[in-house]
Amino acid sequence: MVEIRIHGRGGQGGVTLAKLIATSRFLRGMSVQAFGLYAAERSGAPVQAFCRFDDNPITNRNLIYEPDHVVVLDPTLVGPAILGGLKPGGWILLNTPEGPERFAGDFPTNVVATVDATAIAREHGLGTRSVPIVNTALAGAVARLLEFPLAEMVQAVEEMGFGGANVAAATDAYNALVIHKPESLPAPSSNGSARPGAKPATITFLTGGGGELPLVKTGQWASEQPARQQYVPPCNHVCPAGNDVQGFLHALADDRVDDALEILLRTTPLPATCGRVCPAPCMQSCNRVELDGAVNVRQLERLAGDRGRVALVPAERRGQQIAVVGSGPAGLAAAYHLALYGYGVTMYEAGPSLGGLLRTGIPEFRLPHDVLDQEVERILDLGVESVTGFFVNRERLLTLARSHDAVLVATGLQELRSLRLGVGDSDMVIQGIDFLDRVRSDGHDLRMDNEDIVVVGGGNTAMDAARSALRLGAKSVRVVYRRTRNEMPAIAEEIDEALEEGVVIDFLTQPVSIEQMAQADGDCGENHLVCRRMELGEPDASGRRRPVEVPGSDYQVGCHRIILALGQSPDMAVFPEGTEVREGAELLGVLETPVYAVGDLATNDGTVAAAIGSGRRAALHIHQTLTGEVVVEDARARVRSDVDVWHDEVIKSDALRMHLFERQGGVAGTAIAPTRRRTTFDEIHAGLPDTSEAKRCLSCGVCNECDICVTYCPEGVLKRVGHDLVFDYAYCKGCGICVTECPRNVVFMSQL
Amino acid sequence: MPVEIVTGNHAAGYTLAVAGEANRNARGATCGIYPITPQTEIVEKVAAFPFTKGRVVPVESEHSAMGVVIGASLGGARAFTASSSNGLAYMVENIMVAGFYRLPVVMVAVNRTLGPPWNIWSDQGDTLMLRDFPWIQLYCSDNQEVSDLTLMAFRLAEDHRILLPVLVSMDAFIVSHTQQETNLPSQELADQFLPELDLPQRMRHDDPKTLGGMVWPDTTTTLRMEAHEAMLRVPEVYEECRQAFRDVFDRDPGAPIETFHTDDAETILVASATVATTARDVVRRRRASGEKVGLVKMRMFRPFPEEALRTACASASRVGVLDRDYAAGLGGVWWQDTRAAFQGHREDLVIQDYLLGIGGGDVTPETVDRVLDDLGTREKAGPPEWADIRREEVLA
Repeated sequence: MVEIRIHGRGGQGGVTLAKLIATSRFLRGMSVQAFGLYAAERSGAPVQAFCRFDDNPITNRNLIYEPDHVVVLDPTLVGPAILGGLKPGGWILLNTPEGPERFAGDFPTNVVATVDATAIAREHGLGTRSVPIVNTALAGAVARLLEFPLAEMVQAVEEMGFGGANVAAATDAYNALVIHKPESLPAPSSNGSARPGAKPATITFLTGGGGELPLVKTGQWASEQPARQQYVPPCNHVCPAGNDVQGFLHALADDRVDDALEILLRTTPLPATCGRVCPAPCMQSCNRVELDGAVNVRQLERLAGDRGRVALVPAERRGQQIAVVGSGPAGLAAAYHLALYGYGVTMYEAGPSLGGLLRTGIPEFRLPHDVLDQEVERILDLGVESVTGFFVNRERLLTLARSHDAVLVATGLQELRSLRLGVGDSDMVIQGIDFLDRVRSDGHDLRMDNEDIVVVGGGNTAMDAARSALRLGAKSVRVVYRRTRNEMPAIAEEIDEALEEGVVIDFLTQPVSIEQMAQADGDCGENHLVCRRMELGEPDASGRRRPVEVPGSDYQVGCHRIILALGQSPDMAVFPEGTEVREGAELLGVLETPVYAVGDLATNDGTVAAAIGSGRRAALHIHQTLTGEVVVEDARARVRSDVDVWHDEVIKSDALRMHLFERQGGVAGTAIAPTRRRTTFDEIHAGLPDTSEAKRCLSCGVCNECDICVTYCPEGVLKRVGHDLVFDYAYCKGCGICVTECPRNVVFMSQL
Repeated sequence: MPVEIVTGNHAAGYTLAVAGEANRNARGATCGIYPITPQTEIVEKVAAFPFTKGRVVPVESEHSAMGVVIGASLGGARAFTASSSNGLAYMVENIMVAGFYRLPVVMVAVNRTLGPPWNIWSDQGDTLMLRDFPWIQLYCSDNQEVSDLTLMAFRLAEDHRILLPVLVSMDAFIVSHTQQETNLPSQELADQFLPELDLPQRMRHDDPKTLGGMVWPDTTTTLRMEAHEAMLRVPEVYEECRQAFRDVFDRDPGAPIETFHTDDAETILVASATVATTARDVVRRRRASGEKVGLVKMRMFRPFPEEALRTACASASRVGVLDRDYAAGLGGVWWQDTRAAFQGHREDLVIQDYLLGIGGGDVTPETVDRVLDDLGTREKAGPPEWADIRREEVLA
């Protein structure tokens, strides 16, 4: 009698392979048996099948405990269960692309044969791509190992109704089989496992204890198991400040405002500020746009900044002193983080108070002074010193370098771009930044009553200047911008608000010259600004389409004053000659003390958030340089400890199960009516009424403990323990429902 | 009909179908079907059969499946079904009805453990549960026997001296799902072997009547006694059917009990189904080394072949009964009936019970060896032995 045991996974066709072998022997007049071991035969689970054949009638109907030969349909199953009882001298057939030598060491007393039946089955289109049916191919290989003609197996294949592709697969495997024989092979025995004592003690389910049900844990059925993963949400990825956006929104969704602020303060000292003035790339990249509009992250950050209370505790005070030149967002951020690291920090500010451009360049109706004051206060409370009215020139920079362990220069963009508009323009042309600073410092005494104002530019300064002019009583405010709205760098919402308030914008318009009228009283009278129409041509270096003049399109705009908001560029005069400025990098070889350039001065990014990120990275860099420590900033580690696989990729909406999310429009805050805004510098927006908007966050690729998976798990093997998602793998059958029910793709099936 | 490699289920389903088809010139065939592992393949096979005159009726429960069979049989159809385990338990009320209506229907049962605990493997507890019903019960050891006894069952049941339903059983998976070469009956030979159904109590439109209505105790007793008398006639009629089968198919479907080396045996094992064939292998080996051991393979459980069993064990001093079943508070079911058969005949005989293969445990030659080793040393019988587990360990 010959006994063959077949190990495979449910769905691979092991029982049919047993029958193919049996049929081939039956057709030669032998007595045969073919059967499976049933009950756990679900798709993918480890299963066994058995085949016996003999010249005499077979009476034994036991399982095969000591097979003459073994066939393994899936080599990942090779283990004690497969090797158990395999007789010395018999062969083991493995379905694998690898050669038999690779396994020879595991079976020193057996013939090892391998064939890539999976590839052969795929090639002949047997089964599906994910579940190729390998049994007919392996039947061909078995024929060769049993040393009978392939034709006999082909006859069996056809007898069982399997046609052409199966015969071709069997033939391919017959030919492709690679056989490895050990140098000396014991003679095969042919007793069969019916002899006494053949049964190993494998039937453990009959030896259970007194009255207890047998312990067969259902996790043994699984061929796949769920595991946890985390992706990078797009908002976190794009935030120039490096904020954990998803993290603070998650805290707000739970109405944990202080926790939200704590998360924000890990990366930014200015949440209340950014929550008002940030262009919010997080909202532009928000996956919720696909559903019903972005989550209002900006306003939620403001809410956390305005209402949260967190007591910050700096690290133990270190001896080193750091000078920070400039107190704009980059300088403030750098000072804040350096103070948290424990350094002594002094900020040097040329103006009368701290805040830089935040104070001088952003009008109060967008960023009230008391909001900024509170955020600056939080930084000073960490022990940061400040010296105001202290302009740092090249000479003073050298002095600071001598008296400090590091100097950080964050003076921003001080060189204002201008425009030649002809004779006498100095009287009536004012720079936008200077105008905004005057509006702030002169209070609201500055008036523009009955004046026609033209603002040149398309950025936030242009919008702020135009809207401030309206509030100062201007009769009309016209913005001229040489490209279209699509190219405007200003925040879209600010453009909308300016238009609502009555600002007129002439797109595709370039100012050419001023034509002054005769002035009766020497006052600033009505003049004309000659403008020229433009059209968009080929893209320039920035990727925006370059405006091209339209000949003969000049027209006149009457105006009393012109405000220029054409952008700024860095002023390098403070540095020694030959200094190369790179963000975050030490200015090597110029001074003994390390000097760093940060913020707009180094990056020219032009947003508060980018300046904050730059200041934080510079502080980290200085800390690492001074201490030699390597600090790994891993935002993920602090979020979850139960994640099995971290992905560095950003998760896009197509990786989310969007159909599982409900539509839910955003919560808007209240705002002053446009008609009334023209008369007041009060802050326009009142902020959000509550944290409910945060509940709209989809938490893309990050577990937010919604526990839908726990609810839907049909086996009850998923639990939330603390913040961790815990699978009881002893009982998890690997059904995958937790994966298909997770809307944010943080559970995946992993092959066992 | 050529020999084919088929499962026990396939053999049963095919044979039920050809038996039904054999009645095509009368009232045809009817099969009530409801699936349960591991018998589902049987009714699938029946449902796929191209009957000339036949109905396969899918229903919502085993209880209804037997209801269909009862109704169809009363209408003159050759009616049959198949079930298993807890499905049989649900069918019980109508199983009783078919029996005392004296309907010659046939049911193939795949012996599966009654849950709980949930278990789909072989155990005879389900069909032995029906032991007190007026059904003839036959047990098979392999696929050939499944086919042969299924065909035999119809002829036996429909004989006017009998008119009792027949249950044909096989071990779950060990037979039901094991493919083996099997000689299946051709339609032509089945037609030859099975006369058309002629049911005396058949219902007709022009001759309305009521069966099983309210009666007095004396009528009830009379009907019980008549069923009993019919049961007593089974061995004789079975032999006639067996001879007829041999004449048509040129092979022996087997006697109600099959003896193996019993003539001079001192120790005899009594077993049924696949346990019996495993035991036969062991007995053959032990005989070869000179041990006076023998085997009785029980093919028929109801009526219990008492006399044949007593005759077979005439020379023995010890009998071991192998039970793949368990009757609560007593022991093995086969053991009880074996003891009863010798009551008043052989008070000296040691009749020991061995409970093995419960819940589908693999009964190997080693297990049977252990049983024989134990039995050989016994001077008197003890309580039933759980042969697969150590009682002390379980109770520790």
